[in-house]
Amino acid sequence: MLLQIIINGILKGGLYALMALGMSLIWGVMDIINIAHGAFIMLGAYCSYWFFSLLGVDPFISLFLSIFILFVIGYGIQRYLINLVIRATIFITLILAFGIEIFINNLALVMWTADVRKIQVPYGASNFSIGNFVTIPYVRLGAFLIALIIACVFYFILNKTRLGRSIRATSQDLDAARLVGVDVAKTYALTFGLGVGAAGAAGTLWAILFPINPMMGGILTLKSFVVVIIGGLGTMFGPIVGGLTLGVAEALGSNWFGTTYENFISFTILVLVLIFLPRGILGKSE
Amino acid sequence: MAQKGTVTKGLFLGILIIIGIALPFFSGNFIIRFVTNALMFAVLASAWNIIGGYTGYASFGNVVFLGIGAYVSAVLMEKGGVPFWVGFPASGVGAAIFAILIGLPVLRLKGHYFAIATLGVAEAMKALVDNLEITEGNSGIYLPVMDLSVKSQYIFFYFMMLGVLVLTLVVTYIFLKKKLGYGLIAIREDEEAANSLGVNTTLFKITSFALSGFFSGLAGSLYAYQQGFIKPESVFDVGVTVKMIVMAVFGGIGSILGPLLGALSIEIISEILTNYFLVAHTLFFGAIVIFAIVFTPKGIMDIISGRKKFGISYLLQNIRDHRV
Repeated sequence: MLLQIIINGILKGGLYALMALGMSLIWGVMDIINIAHGAFIMLGAYCSYWFFSLLGVDPFISLFLSIFILFVIGYGIQRYLINLVIRATIFITLILAFGIEIFINNLALVMWTADVRKIQVPYGASNFSIGNFVTIPYVRLGAFLIALIIACVFYFILNKTRLGRSIRATSQDLDAARLVGVDVAKTYALTFGLGVGAAGAAGTLWAILFPINPMMGGILTLKSFVVVIIGGLGTMFGPIVGGLTLGVAEALGSNWFGTTYENFISFTILVLVLIFLPRGILGKSE
Repeated sequence: MAQKGTVTKGLFLGILIIIGIALPFFSGNFIIRFVTNALMFAVLASAWNIIGGYTGYASFGNVVFLGIGAYVSAVLMEKGGVPFWVGFPASGVGAAIFAILIGLPVLRLKGHYFAIATLGVAEAMKALVDNLEITEGNSGIYLPVMDLSVKSQYIFFYFMMLGVLVLTLVVTYIFLKKKLGYGLIAIREDEEAANSLGVNTTLFKITSFALSGFFSGLAGSLYAYQQGFIKPESVFDVGVTVKMIVMAVFGGIGSILGPLLGALSIEIISEILTNYFLVAHTLFFGAIVIFAIVFTPKGIMDIISGRKKFGISYLLQNIRDHRV
């Protein structure tokens, strides 16, 4: 029983990790806390939902479409909006992101109504058992693996490609990066695009597992914060450690205190980690 | 220039005061209610301004003080049977004590980390109140009904809220002229330098946070009593925090009248939007937030007081200052 709870927590934690991956990248590179992150997750979820219900595209395939669409949206928003205020004080970008969130959420509400929807894949209920104790649904395992794969792709892009080098250079020293010929505005836009693309992927996976509605983003943004903070900023594997930690902590906490305390547990962990371990579990010291 | 600024400001203040006192005797219930609500946001934005604008700590959880203020009054009056005149100050004091307790650890964090921590505190409190028995959980709690005619109630809450606002502004003004104000601004500009010059930064920051909490708590008490019924998701709504920050920024942070101006203009704009676009008004509100942040990140106070001339070039200059 306890093992099953922990495994459920780990599987959900993989999804949390993917959600936080994009937020951590954007935060680490540009010092923007993307409050609209959850709204982008919601857009990713709806992308796959419409591909599935209108064209019958399997969500594990429309995953790539939703990454691409969200990448383009993210690129545009950073290039033509956030770049305009990026050097102002920190809460300016914070509130701008809030404005974007309000805008996207309500646009979705007007276009798609507040109805709760879900992608009902035919294989949604099938699962396998290990021994007689643990049951693992295929979709949850698939979502978990895809989250890990995308994290690895991110690691590859950041460490092995030219784009990754310019992103890292820009985050270390903006002026020096500009001096050696990095197009900062474009690099920022690409970074935001990548982060939002990852949010799109998380949205698709979320829509396979859980019901979706236009206002689902808020709590997911907050959970992404918690994951980023627990894992620590500035490392690629921070979000994975943070995601798994939060997933397991929530699963255990809801089991002991009841599910209504789930959010209380998350945010108490957030505040405690911030106070006692401000760099997170894996965070680098400055 | 400075002369002109002072005169304009004085004139502006004078007109506001006259309108403020005369308004409820010339208008209907709807207008009074609307202005009371706008005044509440003016209190919240001004209280946020103390910690966010003057001290430079961008609190993203200030709504927690509104919520605590509301619930202290609700629980004391409903469960404890105390009169409003006890519950009202208790709300302010309760929120201030909470600010001190939370501020001790949280105010050690800086920048984004402080913002996230305060947001986390607000969300955790919402989740806690949602589950506690004494607050009647997520079904919400009723407050005793007031023994006055509807019109008198509206006028009562109008003047109470106006009083809290005046108190907030006057106290902020007085403190700014004292050591506290200079200390806070020194912390905003360079905390380590302030510390090495002998400013007791911890004490100053906590005082600032507690003041912010106190006034928001008073507003929360009034809000709860006027509504007659509150729920955790309405008085701990993170959207209210956003609104107060947007108002403070739009009006001009770090100035006394800026948040008041921002609150009044944003409330009027959103009311008009609600009238014209019943379904999509929040959508337009989001668009306004985006435009206000991009084009007037320093607030409209500069323009009102005559320090800057309004025009396309002013708006574009703001972008030129901050873009990459």
